Amino acid sequence: MGDYSIAKTLDYKGLPCPMPVVKISQDIGSVDVGEVIEVLTTDPGSLADFPAWAKTSGNEILETQQDEGTIHIFVRRVK
Amino acid sequence: MDATQKQELRRLFASRLTGAVRMYLEACTHCGTCIPACHAYASEPELRHSSVGRAENIRRLFWRHFRPQGRLAGWLNEAVELSEDWMEKVYETAYTCTGCRRCVTYCPFGIDTQQIQSIAKLLLIGAGREPQVLSMLADMSIAKGENVEATKASFTQAVQGLEEEVIARWRSEAGREAIPIDEKDADLLYVALAGKHSIIPAAAIMNAAGENWSLSYFEAVNFGAFVGNPEKTREISQRIIDEAVRLGVREVAICECGTAYRVMKFMMGELPFRVVSFVEVIARYLREGRIQIDPRKTEQRLTYHDPCQIARNGGVMEEAREILAHLTRDFVELQPNRVENWCCGGGGGLVAMGEKEFRMRSARVKAEQVRATGAEVLATACENCHTQLSDLNEHYALGMRVAFLSDLVSQALVASQ
Repeated sequence: MGDYSIAKTLDYKGLPCPMPVVKISQDIGSVDVGEVIEVLTTDPGSLADFPAWAKTSGNEILETQQDEGTIHIFVRRVK
Repeated sequence: MDATQKQELRRLFASRLTGAVRMYLEACTHCGTCIPACHAYASEPELRHSSVGRAENIRRLFWRHFRPQGRLAGWLNEAVELSEDWMEKVYETAYTCTGCRRCVTYCPFGIDTQQIQSIAKLLLIGAGREPQVLSMLADMSIAKGENVEATKASFTQAVQGLEEEVIARWRSEAGREAIPIDEKDADLLYVALAGKHSIIPAAAIMNAAGENWSLSYFEAVNFGAFVGNPEKTREISQRIIDEAVRLGVREVAICECGTAYRVMKFMMGELPFRVVSFVEVIARYLREGRIQIDPRKTEQRLTYHDPCQIARNGGVMEEAREILAHLTRDFVELQPNRVENWCCGGGGGLVAMGEKEFRMRSARVKAEQVRATGAEVLATACENCHTQLSDLNEHYALGMRVAFLSDLVSQALVASQ
């Protein structure tokens, strides 16, 4: 993991389409600009959806990790 | 609303005025046959929640802006001018309707109310008043298409992580991947949603059938269609079309997602491959004896909700019954069913938008219809329907289990006798 601290961890595991992206677009406002949210999901599609959402919303995906069926996506609020 | 914006909205309205749409706008005699056909009206009898009630909001603009009598004597047709206030009516027109087209099947003039709804949605986009979440999701899908190469490796890794769960349902032949991706010359491209629940059951079923298939990098759902933007609808679909052409597949199977199926099947023109719903694929495997399922594995009483975009608007109804006949010995139909089935109340983008209070209120008739079956399992074949029915199950305490058809089939797969 990179050199940053996590302000909040959000569990999106098992949410139906398209809720993971809908929720991050809402939840990103719950942290300050510059802070990082860790999202937990089991959706393979999130690995492409989140970078695309970040590009269109002007936020940043710092990295993604996968372990034992859980995908971790680290999102920095930029705007 | 200034003159420039009014002119632009008028231009957008005019772009939709084909001969058929003019007929839909002019032919209504206000007979009222469509009124009780809408689940929202049946649940909450207010005229604004009826097909004709919504369409009138657009017709009154049509009379004012596109018919001489409306310009000269607007009071005759209650014609109205485009205005900020009226755009609120346009919003209500567009987003209290799920696009299920149940009303269309009752209209004696065959008025396709969805063509009128599409005018409403286009006007909202032109005025910047469309639900931002739907535009955001459509833009995300387009951006995903532009950057697919950057995420292919991590997506593939995540999908490989699901293989054990596929194998738990059906063990593939040695040497075959449980979830093949990017398979050139595959026969079938399966287009799933982001979630693993739309990948694992389908993979097990296709592997059991010995299908030569490949998983798409893209999600099936098309938010361009939900928001009513024809250009974005095309761009989102084009990603899948290009992938299918690159792989040389003969068939594209759309997962259990109603809008995705209707858009690819009916709105993309002639394609160099066949488009099928995954429901049709399962039925075909059963018909050809390529898979077997054990009905004893689904012992509870089961009913089936026909998703509007797959059944009424897509024609896939008997295929689901073929599957159900194999799946259970205790099946009970919803009344009414097939073309006349009540919409679940979650389509048209409402699930993605949230709108839970309205969705629950406007689908009371659906909850009552489901409860009357006495079923313990409510199967369906659409993600939107599944989410909405799950919410209704909780809200109205129906005490059922809501399940995807593919999930039930994959859990009941058995080796040939």
